[in-house]
Amino acid sequence: MDAKLVNPFVDAFTSVMPQMGFPEPKRAKLYVREKNAVSRGVAVVVGFTKQIRGNVVYNMSVDTAKSIASTMMMGMPIADFDAMAQSAISELSNMLTANAATNITGMGLEVDISTPSLSIGESFQIKISDAQYLTVEMDLGGQIVELDIAVDTN
Amino acid sequence: MEKVKVMIVDDSKVSRAMIKGHLAKTNFEVCAEAKTVAEAVEMFSEMRPQIITMDMNLPDADGIECSRRIHLIDPTVKIVMISAMKDASLMTAGREVGISSFLQKPISTNELIETMMTLCQSEVGKIAILRESYAKAFVRALQQGIYSMIGVHAEVSLEVDERRFLDVDGIAVIVGLTGYPTGRAIMHMDFDTMKKYASLMLGIEEGEELSDEEAADSVEEAVNIIIGRGASNVNDVFKDKELRITPPGTISGNHIRIASPKLTTFKITAATKIGDINLSVGFAEGE
Repeated sequence: MDAKLVNPFVDAFTSVMPQMGFPEPKRAKLYVREKNAVSRGVAVVVGFTKQIRGNVVYNMSVDTAKSIASTMMMGMPIADFDAMAQSAISELSNMLTANAATNITGMGLEVDISTPSLSIGESFQIKISDAQYLTVEMDLGGQIVELDIAVDTN
Repeated sequence: MEKVKVMIVDDSKVSRAMIKGHLAKTNFEVCAEAKTVAEAVEMFSEMRPQIITMDMNLPDADGIECSRRIHLIDPTVKIVMISAMKDASLMTAGREVGISSFLQKPISTNELIETMMTLCQSEVGKIAILRESYAKAFVRALQQGIYSMIGVHAEVSLEVDERRFLDVDGIAVIVGLTGYPTGRAIMHMDFDTMKKYASLMLGIEEGEELSDEEAADSVEEAVNIIIGRGASNVNDVFKDKELRITPPGTISGNHIRIASPKLTTFKITAATKIGDINLSVGFAEGE
């Protein structure tokens, strides 16, 4: 995939999260993957069509997902990763992807995004590409959110 | 209630055929065709359609008068005026006799269906529309796809899925839907069915080697084909709004729960001799 397509996602994450009351995210790691990603507990897949095709996965532990959902819901304590918390993470993924899509449009590429699919489970395999793709780990005040990005120009 | 009964009132054979063509393959079923006001009133009393498409110029009186007479029989029936001319005075006169919408010829399929969907929403509901016009397109794709790829007959059932999640043990291939409406399709099956499906698809005999990866790749491709066909079936009906599909994302493992917040979801199950092949199609609400 084209490495310059990673920036729209990193920029979206970096600009959206502080607006929602999170600390400034830092890019912790960036690496190329050839194989399947592995679920950290909660993995949200969002797909792209039109001039960009592919998928992005927001991959995080259940604890991180709970903590993010809690912050999104004004600090409401979250004991279980329940329907409301799932909905919050799903909505966040939608917001981040829509923001990234806007950034991609700014590069002159038309793009449309699907609704997010949120999967919960330990260590399941996630395959989003037959080729190499990029993984970025974002550090959100000590919590890691992994972005698996497999998108290409059509 | 799934089918919505429609009566076409138009003195032109060509116009009637065109409207009928627009409604083909949808949940709107043409139950009566009237050429005159007198015929329209008589057929309405007999057939009781829920929606009427009304031409303005009719041989014995005009579409306004026809609508007035029909509304005297049943004030709840929805009338769409489809006329060559559409101006403010016609619309004012039409509203007075209870015409709900006005379309100008030539009309597009999409325009007509959307207008009708809006009009009958309170009666049939959005779920019925999604089920008849969208989910069933995927039912056909699944049934045909399975048969054409692996030559296996499937008993396919369709129901609204009230659960907000899917439980997966095996493989699930997720394909996003963009355009109108947005959503996602997820086909899932257990590992045993996946292996059998892939073996039949690739023509692999029993006892021959087939790796899990090859099996997963085959099923992924099968899903890509089936969902692509389903989206094409939808696009055949709604010609001017394209439903597109994203590349597949595949997850596999045990005890995976896939949540679908804010989606109207349909559960499509294909029961086959190699096991159940499940397809969940969800559409975003509030579109």
